[in-house]
Amino acid sequence: MALEEKGTRGISRLFTEDWLAVVAGLGLVALGLAGILKHIP
Amino acid sequence: MSDRVLSSHEAVAAPRQGTSAPWIWASASFLLVIGLTVATWWLNKTVPSWNKQLRVIEFPVYAVALGLLANGLLSLLGIRDRLVAYFRTEFFLKTGLVLLGASINLAEIVAFGAKGLVQAVILISSVFLFTWYVARWLGVEEKLRALLSASVAICGVSAAISAAGAVLAKKEQLAYVTGLVILFALPLMFFQPALAVWLNLSPEVAGAWIGGNIDTTAAVVGAGSIHSQQALKVASIAKLSQNALIGVVAFLLALYWVVVVERNPGQRPSAWQIWERFPKFVLGFILASIVVTLGLANGWIVKATVRDLQRLREWFFIAAFLSIGYGLSVSGLRDAGWRPIAVYSLATVFNTVVALAAAWAIFG
Repeated sequence: MALEEKGTRGISRLFTEDWLAVVAGLGLVALGLAGILKHIP
Repeated sequence: MSDRVLSSHEAVAAPRQGTSAPWIWASASFLLVIGLTVATWWLNKTVPSWNKQLRVIEFPVYAVALGLLANGLLSLLGIRDRLVAYFRTEFFLKTGLVLLGASINLAEIVAFGAKGLVQAVILISSVFLFTWYVARWLGVEEKLRALLSASVAICGVSAAISAAGAVLAKKEQLAYVTGLVILFALPLMFFQPALAVWLNLSPEVAGAWIGGNIDTTAAVVGAGSIHSQQALKVASIAKLSQNALIGVVAFLLALYWVVVVERNPGQRPSAWQIWERFPKFVLGFILASIVVTLGLANGWIVKATVRDLQRLREWFFIAAFLSIGYGLSVSGLRDAGWRPIAVYSLATVFNTVVALAAAWAIFG
């Protein structure tokens, strides 16, 4: 496999929705713990 | 849009479809998701105020119905596929699942004491295995089997969502199982407290039975309050003990799927392959749960913060079920057939009997 192809696959794998959801979820938990997400209906 | 809810590989391809649409369609799709999510939230909040018994109908029902409605109307207008960009089931579900971890206080297992933990472990393991083997005997597909087993054994909708993430289930399978969970919770909510009175159970035993058997939290609260305040208290804590074990079950299920079900015949998966296929949201779920448990124990998090995160989780799950409804294939639902209903019925009877025996032996 060409190095360029390998690199592209690596990057796309890094940005799968699996990881995106983990980052978003933990980010929102952090914001919540920081008291920024108060009074959500 | 693929029929799989939670495949990390399809997810790589999905954004390209979205960005290839003109920005106006993408913006319209975003606004449509927001609008339908708010409409679902409003229905979920307002309908139970018309009639208290309707509170057992939880948000997935409204969300899938509105998603289906939008699906049908926009298909008629011929613009459904152009508006698909922001109906991102996988992202919404998994983000919601990480937020679900933040509402699991592991200390609650300890708070209920050894009795609650013993009851939760007995019920989860026995009901899960019973459902799994009955479903296998009836020839139910293995991913659907995992969703059915987790939802009956642990806590209905949240467990079905976690299991769907762990085994990469189809969206039709998740919609089907969620429908069954809500359908079965309704009669149990009235039947079980009446039976507890008829059997002359103490409020503690009745509460432990209700909490150990009924799958949805709303129906547990409904059934507990029909019986007595003490039963409601015990039922809620028994339910929390079971909910607290969702992460453990999701982790074990994901590991089992990667190592046993999906491995190539005669080949042992390497540690890297296991890591690559393992659903990462499980790690986010567990991490969020540990942080919140430590925070509550040490007083640097207040319960109001956890409630804010719970409400935020519900918004994500609403958007996820809307996306499921928007991409739902009726033939996919039909493919599941009658067998899951038979499995769910048998599993519910088994759960009712075992939960009564466990509640009576442990709390009697």
